[in-house]
Amino acid sequence: MIALHNVHYTYPGSELPTLHELTLSVPSGQFCALVGPNRAGKSTLCYVLSGFIPHFYRGKLAGDVQVAGVDVPRTSLAELAGVVGLVFQNPFNQISGARFSVREEVAFGLENLGVPREEILPRVDQALALVGLGALADRSPYALSGGEQQRLALASVMVMRPKVLVLDEPTAQLDPRGTRAVFEALRRISAQGKTTVFMVEHKLEWVATFADRVVVLEQGRLVADGDPRAILGSPAAWGRGVGRTRYTEAAQRGGERGLIHASGPLPVTLEQATRFFQ
Amino acid sequence: MRVKVEGLSYRYPQGVLALQGIDLSIEAGESLAIIGENGAGKTTLAKHLNGLLKPTQGRVLVGDLDTRQLSTAQLARFVSYLFQNPDDQLFERTVWREVAFGPRNLGCTPQEVEARTQRALETVGLLAHAQDNPFDLHPSERKLLALAATLAMEAPIILLDEPTTGLDHRTLEMIGRVVERLKEWGRTVIVISHDMDFCMEHCARIVLMAQGRVLADGPSQEVFAHGELLARAGVDPPQLVRLSQALGLPGVPRQVDEFLDLLAISRQRSR
Amino acid sequence: MRAPTLYLERQSGLHALHPTTKLALSGLFLTGAAVMPGLHWLLALFAFGLLPLAAWGQVARPLLRTSLALIWPFALSLLLIQGFFAPGEQVLFRLGPLALKQEGLLLGALFTARILVWLGTATLLMLITRPDHLMQAFTEQGLPHQISYIVLATIQIIPRFQAKAQTILDAQRSRGLETEGLLTVRLRALLPLIGPLILGSILDVDERAMALEARAFSRRGPKTYLTVLSDSLGQRLLRWLCLLLMVAMVLPRLAPW
Repeated sequence: MIALHNVHYTYPGSELPTLHELTLSVPSGQFCALVGPNRAGKSTLCYVLSGFIPHFYRGKLAGDVQVAGVDVPRTSLAELAGVVGLVFQNPFNQISGARFSVREEVAFGLENLGVPREEILPRVDQALALVGLGALADRSPYALSGGEQQRLALASVMVMRPKVLVLDEPTAQLDPRGTRAVFEALRRISAQGKTTVFMVEHKLEWVATFADRVVVLEQGRLVADGDPRAILGSPAAWGRGVGRTRYTEAAQRGGERGLIHASGPLPVTLEQATRFFQ
Repeated sequence: MRVKVEGLSYRYPQGVLALQGIDLSIEAGESLAIIGENGAGKTTLAKHLNGLLKPTQGRVLVGDLDTRQLSTAQLARFVSYLFQNPDDQLFERTVWREVAFGPRNLGCTPQEVEARTQRALETVGLLAHAQDNPFDLHPSERKLLALAATLAMEAPIILLDEPTTGLDHRTLEMIGRVVERLKEWGRTVIVISHDMDFCMEHCARIVLMAQGRVLADGPSQEVFAHGELLARAGVDPPQLVRLSQALGLPGVPRQVDEFLDLLAISRQRSR
Repeated sequence: MRAPTLYLERQSGLHALHPTTKLALSGLFLTGAAVMPGLHWLLALFAFGLLPLAAWGQVARPLLRTSLALIWPFALSLLLIQGFFAPGEQVLFRLGPLALKQEGLLLGALFTARILVWLGTATLLMLITRPDHLMQAFTEQGLPHQISYIVLATIQIIPRFQAKAQTILDAQRSRGLETEGLLTVRLRALLPLIGPLILGSILDVDERAMALEARAFSRRGPKTYLTVLSDSLGQRLLRWLCLLLMVAMVLPRLAPW
């Protein structure tokens, strides 16, 4: 579903490339999380996947970028709208400003695509149910909380039935309740099996609980790729600026102090840690 | 410099009652975290401490000064405030000038401005970027820049409103280190955050808020032990506390080594 | 944070009219107020024209409230200026060298009443028309959708802009920036306030542009609408009638005979 081959990208006016020799393949229906320190190129990769590089941000892009079989750099953004969807950090800036109710906001993309009216209504209802905003359909988008607005952005993108959903730190500005609501919506989306979810995230416990696979980006290169617990529970991860949960830290330190035998990948979530320490 | 909040109530012009009868006393040099869900009144309370909001009932004393009688600019020399979005205040051409803005407003001599700016940039690790344009920095670096700008005010009381959102781990650790240094220098540090692990690690006292009231106020280990109160306020305990509770360990660990000590003790007991 | 629209949601026949019908009726009232010669005609237009319509739309009270709130500065200045300075013989009241004359007062009242009908018409229009429905009506008639978007987005963005300006003000004050006092002090405070507002808005616009692209905004081709704006032969006839009446009212004034 995502097939990147030998992708290089340099921002205009920059001497050093931001992405190097990036080769990544994500199968259909997988929930893949991208972690790594700042300036690693994570947002840049999101823009490459969704076509904003090269259509919005110029610069030099080389290599093969295929999403759902579509050659992204050669397809216009309007056509890409039904193939790959992008949700980013700031919930407020993703509200189009063209519609005065949640329902119509979600319908906006379908209206632009010229989808017949009879088809728009059920699709909008489905998208709202998917993110749990059905009860707020008649509210103004500006009367929603940050977490609700982020779910609105998600619904507005999912209504166009993209094959790939790319999210760039969608919970960064949300409180714990908003974060939970977004992750649960993503779990429902992923469970349907029709959409590949590719998410940049710093909140490791959430990543380890929901993602099928974790990929680590450091200075524009992919340096690790595998099972969430294996990647996030390994000492090499926080050396790379990925960080670690307190559970992992406790397990590591417990091993150093001889209190526990730490073999294999260390725990990353509460559940894993509880079993580990019993 | 101590802060006293007496019977503080605040109603927004549109009619919403955001704070009800808050009483709080903060001694010089304390480190405290205000936690609670969005809408609980944390930022509303914080904005009363530097005069951005004036009480509709009750009063706030900073030292001997009543905040109702001074402008925020006048109180800025005693209480400095770091806002959540750094982009809401950046306007200078260089990082250096941005940080120097505060001390200049305070009327410091040029030498003092230079000394404070230097110190602030060193503390956050941005000295190498002093001549860069703020918008050439990555968003997390801009957060550190805003922090430096607040540090340069060198006010005895410093308020950090959500300093931990949207950061990677290295930057988060840097913010933590800065908080520790502020504590060493005897400043009063007040943090508003959703990151419970950060609060547990760096703040000795927790004020838990919900619906405009203070639900709990005490040492962090006491407040974080109160599962039902936290749940009522819509807040989860820190990771290590949850783990201890899941394992049935008595005690509320503040950091990893404390947790492991508890584990070791309970293992010995069960032998 | 609500958009600064006056629109009030109601299940009324007036609300259900097509936006262009609402515009046509407004045009009729505006033109009528412009050409009517007498104070009593104008007041009758307001009391027996606008108010009953507003009552049909279940917004009579908000109309009265808003109109009266908006009219009083005009009323005050018009009555005083015309009262004291317009030519006339019948003096009602003297204040030093100035004389308040009855003819002037009546003239002032006439102008006030005219403005009252204009303000009332504009207010009623805004009370019963949702901006995006109005824009949809225009777009269906051929207005480029980009222009429609600009109008709507501006309306919605205003409260956000105000909130942002307030946050910036708070942040700079917290860094010791004085914003009250001498004019020189306030002028010096402008750059630290305007700079972040503009820069921040540019960054926001960038992201919003991306969000629009992601919703196929720039796609060329026919667009559909979820909301159906109901129209009818009766309404079309009504609009033509309004247009005819407006022309009939204006024509005598344009032609010199």
